[in-house]
Amino acid sequence: MGIKESSKKKFRRVVMWSALTLIILLIFLSVYGAFLGAERTQRLVNTLPLTVYWLSFVLILIAGLVVFRRLVRVPSLLLIHAGCVLILAGAMWGSDAGHKLQEQLFGIDKIRTGRMVIYEGHTENHVLLEQGQTPKELPFSIHLKDFRLEYYKPGSILVYMPDDTTRRIPAETGSEHNLGGEVGKVKIVRTFERFRLNIEDDRREAIDAPDGELMPALEVIIEKPDGSQLKRYVFEPSQGYMYKDNFQMSYLRMISDYISELQIIENDKVVAEKNIEVNHPLHYGGYHFYQHRYDAEAGQYTVLEVTSDTGLNLVYGGYLMLCIGVFWQLWLRHIFTGIKLKKLRNTPPPINWGAKYSGFLLSQE
Amino acid sequence: MEIKYTIQGLLIYAAMGAYLLAFVMSLLRHRKAGDILYLLGFIIAVLAFGYRWYDVRHTPLQNLFEVFLCLGMICYPASFFCRRILQVGGRCADMLIGAIVLFPAGFIFSAQPQQLPPALQSWLFVPHVAVYMLSYIFMAKATFQAISQLAGKSYDGDEKLLPPEQATYRMICAGFPLLTLGLVLGSWWGKLAWGDYWGWDPKELWSLASWLVYVGYFHFRYMFGKKHARINSAWAIAGIAAILITLLWANLSRLFSGLHSYAT
Repeated sequence: MGIKESSKKKFRRVVMWSALTLIILLIFLSVYGAFLGAERTQRLVNTLPLTVYWLSFVLILIAGLVVFRRLVRVPSLLLIHAGCVLILAGAMWGSDAGHKLQEQLFGIDKIRTGRMVIYEGHTENHVLLEQGQTPKELPFSIHLKDFRLEYYKPGSILVYMPDDTTRRIPAETGSEHNLGGEVGKVKIVRTFERFRLNIEDDRREAIDAPDGELMPALEVIIEKPDGSQLKRYVFEPSQGYMYKDNFQMSYLRMISDYISELQIIENDKVVAEKNIEVNHPLHYGGYHFYQHRYDAEAGQYTVLEVTSDTGLNLVYGGYLMLCIGVFWQLWLRHIFTGIKLKKLRNTPPPINWGAKYSGFLLSQE
Repeated sequence: MEIKYTIQGLLIYAAMGAYLLAFVMSLLRHRKAGDILYLLGFIIAVLAFGYRWYDVRHTPLQNLFEVFLCLGMICYPASFFCRRILQVGGRCADMLIGAIVLFPAGFIFSAQPQQLPPALQSWLFVPHVAVYMLSYIFMAKATFQAISQLAGKSYDGDEKLLPPEQATYRMICAGFPLLTLGLVLGSWWGKLAWGDYWGWDPKELWSLASWLVYVGYFHFRYMFGKKHARINSAWAIAGIAAILITLLWANLSRLFSGLHSYAT
């Protein structure tokens, strides 16, 4: 019996030391990965030695649950450790290797991650994979009804002052801004979405052409310190700066959202519809579709990121268990004990419960 | 180094001044004056944060200027909570922490208002950053206690307060759930915004490293209790070092360019 107990103790010590070693190794791996960069780290953590490491981590967590009865008896500790097992299991199940394993074992041929380029008014089901791999097809198609960009209003004008400093002023139509002695006042007169300059009989007229190319601009009046007035047009930096005298101005518009209006088409029928934007992906058929990039020049196509949802529920379940467990173990348990203690102190106890509970609380400290 | 001759800047400098004076007064054992100045510093810091909120028209937690402004504001309530509820001292150190965290907002980072880029327009933005800020304050307090333990200090002069080693443990117990929640919320948000709950981005890895240091602390302390109190304290100090790198170096250095680069 004594030998059994001592070997149990030894085994527990081995498990505890192994756990601590794996934690320390992961700290060093995280720091090393931060220096490597995301792409190289992603490749590193999917190599065979690291796969062995992840499996060891899962095994040591399970071994901990088996040999330390406290980890099962105390629900919060069970939630924390089982939550970590779920997170690791979900991550491995959803990884490249996990997808390959599912294909070999169950014949599930699912794309893990890829990109889709869809033009406005077109329907697509091809997913572009990493370099060198042939595109794969989804079991359904995606139709892009429209892609649009939304901007914060009003935009702003960036003024490069003669003393090499910059000033940002709101580009609100009708507003007037005093920029100081050397520059004078700037009044914003008009905003253009599709600026075009019409020249007829030596007369030039700026118009907002509805059928023209996208060229945001502002019409401004500069009132110089000597009282003279100049009419000028300010454009976005990519389309050239307005330059006058000893200062420069450029028109800045900040994107507030990218929106792709999508329809999911299966057997020639629209089965789902959603406007996707950053933070609001579309979930359909075991895949998430994200707004990834867009045609910056003409706004005619969108680039979607496609990711498989395999293993995601396990990871989220693990997150929930981990959070509940940690808050329960480190916050709620002490709060409830404190309340119990207060109640017991308020009613005269036959024995000194207060001291007993205080001892329990402080045993961890 | 940039001095801000604006209302925003003046409020920050006034709060810093009040915190520093409170610290000096407390060192000189003028406890009441120190308390009043500390409260005054907090009120000014709230005004500075409120002014910024009004100025940018969204919760000001977007960049490092706003993050440090927020840290300068939550020092006082965190300190009050720790003393009254958790029986953890270090009031004097808290005053100094208040001034230290406001320094980058006052002198280093630009206060130029920015609009939120699409990725930050999420309901997860505020809870993710706010829980991290609060946990960082708790972990900073834990570090001061750990340093006190290493320096051989026993009590804060108040019998009701915990000795440094136990106070370090209690502070880490208070901060760790928030650190965990911040990491999990960030991961969930990453999935919604970027398509993956874990992108192996440098900032993600540093935040994982800081979380793991505290996991290591708990396991080490479970194994040895208070037998190796100095090593326990060393874990706590390593934790704050990892947090500082996560908050500053990972955002500012070109070495760690990644998805979180907007955070500067």
